[in-house]
Amino acid sequence: MYNLHLSPEQLEFRDTVRSFVNDEVKPVTLKADRLDLADRTLPVDVLRKASQMGLRTLALPEDLGGVGADALTCCIVIEELAVGDTDFAAVLAETAALSLRLFPAMTTEQGDRFLQKFLEDDDYHLACAEREPDAETALGVNYHRSGGAERRIATTATRSGNDFIINGVKDHVANAPLAKLIAVEAQTDKGPALILVPCDTPGLSVTDRPGPRWHHGTSGRIELKDCRVPAGNLLTLGGAPDTGRAIPLNEAVNIGIGRAAYEAAVEYAQLRVQGGRPIAQHQAIGTKLADIAIRLDVARTVVWRAAWAADHPDAFADRSLPDLPLSTIAKVTTTEAVYRATKDAAECFGAMGVMRDMPLQKYIHDARVCLYSGDGAADDRLRIAEAVTQFRRGAPMLAAE
Amino acid sequence: MDFSLSNEQRSWQMQARKFAEEQIKPISLDLDEAPDAHGTFNWDIVEKGSKLGFRTLAVPKEYGGEGTDYVTQALVMAELARGDSAISKTFSQNWKWSHLIAQACNPEQKERFLRPFVADHRFLLGKGITEPTAGSDNRMPPGDAPKAGLKLRAERQGDEWILNGEKCFIANAPVGKLFFIDARTDPNAPLRQGTTMFLVPRDTPGFRIGKVFNKSGWRFYRNGEMIFENARVPHANVVGHVNNSDMKTQAAGDRTGGDIFGDLELAANALGVCDDACEAAMRHAKTATQGGRPLFEQQLVQLKINKMHMWTEALRSLVMRVAWEHDHKVHSANAGLAMNLSTDVIQEVTELNLEIHVGAGGNALRHAEKLVRDGFIWSHLAGDTVQRLKVAARLAKMAAH
Repeated sequence: MYNLHLSPEQLEFRDTVRSFVNDEVKPVTLKADRLDLADRTLPVDVLRKASQMGLRTLALPEDLGGVGADALTCCIVIEELAVGDTDFAAVLAETAALSLRLFPAMTTEQGDRFLQKFLEDDDYHLACAEREPDAETALGVNYHRSGGAERRIATTATRSGNDFIINGVKDHVANAPLAKLIAVEAQTDKGPALILVPCDTPGLSVTDRPGPRWHHGTSGRIELKDCRVPAGNLLTLGGAPDTGRAIPLNEAVNIGIGRAAYEAAVEYAQLRVQGGRPIAQHQAIGTKLADIAIRLDVARTVVWRAAWAADHPDAFADRSLPDLPLSTIAKVTTTEAVYRATKDAAECFGAMGVMRDMPLQKYIHDARVCLYSGDGAADDRLRIAEAVTQFRRGAPMLAAE
Repeated sequence: MDFSLSNEQRSWQMQARKFAEEQIKPISLDLDEAPDAHGTFNWDIVEKGSKLGFRTLAVPKEYGGEGTDYVTQALVMAELARGDSAISKTFSQNWKWSHLIAQACNPEQKERFLRPFVADHRFLLGKGITEPTAGSDNRMPPGDAPKAGLKLRAERQGDEWILNGEKCFIANAPVGKLFFIDARTDPNAPLRQGTTMFLVPRDTPGFRIGKVFNKSGWRFYRNGEMIFENARVPHANVVGHVNNSDMKTQAAGDRTGGDIFGDLELAANALGVCDDACEAAMRHAKTATQGGRPLFEQQLVQLKINKMHMWTEALRSLVMRVAWEHDHKVHSANAGLAMNLSTDVIQEVTELNLEIHVGAGGNALRHAEKLVRDGFIWSHLAGDTVQRLKVAARLAKMAAH
């Protein structure tokens, strides 16, 4: 059985979101002054409109009041959104991923306090504060070594009567400046845990990171000084998520960046006349367009497969899918393919490809951030390498160990 | 074979290295990040460099310049680019046109223009070729579309020429005092047979500078629009003959159809950027740590550093060989090949450097990211398909002889 048909609902979703992006998003985000990287203010009005269409609660299960779209549909939608604007899509992708992680794990009492507000408020976004300043997340020197497995969490949550008092600093928190609810990872007397912290909790502050902006969407540093939240805000999760098989939403954002560049190049190459004919009719440019199409199509196929795998975890067990971190593979494929694609697309524009009031330089920059952020594609390859040799961290490497 | 430098060449190289290190590097990152296109330039650095001879390096000694050879020019461009690629280009752009003045202008024009150029530390030169509808068409006029190419019209009225039209992306336009302008003097003839080159001082009546282009890389380097509305240029300012503007290559004595200085220039500049990237990568690899150990201990980092140096040294070999060939009047397509290669090398090397800086922040990331943006400028200057096809055409022409 091999079926690549999208369902009528998925096709309709795609068409609806595509029209929304053309009609409502692009007119705002493709304005010359907003293409300049110096000004990356978030288009909050457009975010609100997207929420009104149900795109903020896209991934949330239906029984919790959300749209309940599956992973593949979410990736299709996020790609469409990113064609209109990277930051806007990245914010919605983060909230989608976290809505799926946080709300199903909540108790009824937690649900009563947070879910209703989330459903009602079009500006309600989510963040998860896990990473700490100077924390090392790369595999790097620990490749195929048993060391480096234990994560040290400096942020503490201390019981005080019926409350937790949280102290610590978190960095690189996606959605932090926008989120109304932040899940904070802290060390409790029973080990590490996620605790739900509303953004207006006294003692919580969000600041911009110092240094160059090197992320999509919005991101910040969170400081918690004697933040008091009810002990009932402790979230019970079933273990750490498997990032190798996560829903590839960021990769869908990345594909959207590539597609925006691709569409711009295909259009321009048919309009721009040099050498006596539209430049698309020259072999050199024609094959460049072909290369972009090839790269994007391959990357999208890999992303969709990883998304489908997230929807069908049984397909690993029945050996339909290889026992590999498909989402990490999708990430490496996509980041590299899209960066090349945006560069090729910009080349079709000549000097216009580097002008800050034109979109191509923004697409290249955005693709570059995807490729050279986090721990980088080289580190992802190390993780895939460990997976292909079925290395298990903690197991002795040699008989003598 | 002899790879040694003369004392004079070594002395220029050291002086340029010192100037780049002490004067250019400290201002480079901040100028690069100025939000608008008007804030990226700095006259002070131009004057300081000019006083050391970097503005007039290619002017013959008999006209008061430094009269250096191509090897020296390549060394100095690379060293200055090691501090800031766009600042290096702002200086060497003058050399390109001082070569032209020395070789193509008549004695009266040399007296009139070369003397004031040498005397004034703020005197910069430019050349206007590109127009909104003519980019690649000027570089490689299509045989089957004789009217393709620049449209700026010049019509004779007595002892004057009346110029009408516009140019775009013109280097040094917003800061230059004298420009070479290619204009169509016979609109019915193909580009090479119907174009004349004029010397146009900035204060020419009817000539003004339009917008300043805001680029994503090479931000110090000014590119602007030129607008000609019945601009009046004396006939005495015609360079060479009417309807024969292709002086850039002919005057340089090159019979291969290349731009022997311009091609070398881009390759030598790229070399300096690569040197800068190699140095930054090694510094980061040795000082930044992961798991308590320097990054350099990791094989993946060593392999990247190996590749960066491998490409950089390969480029250096070709750049210096081409410079030597120019000094010895050996004509070949090697300058064009070096220019094409420099595109691939500068992008590969600066991207590897950025990859080594994954996870870094602050000035190290700002610098690594700037080099990648600067490197992308090569895509439309030195490595686009037209520039590669042109070199292939040269090779074919030489093979026929």
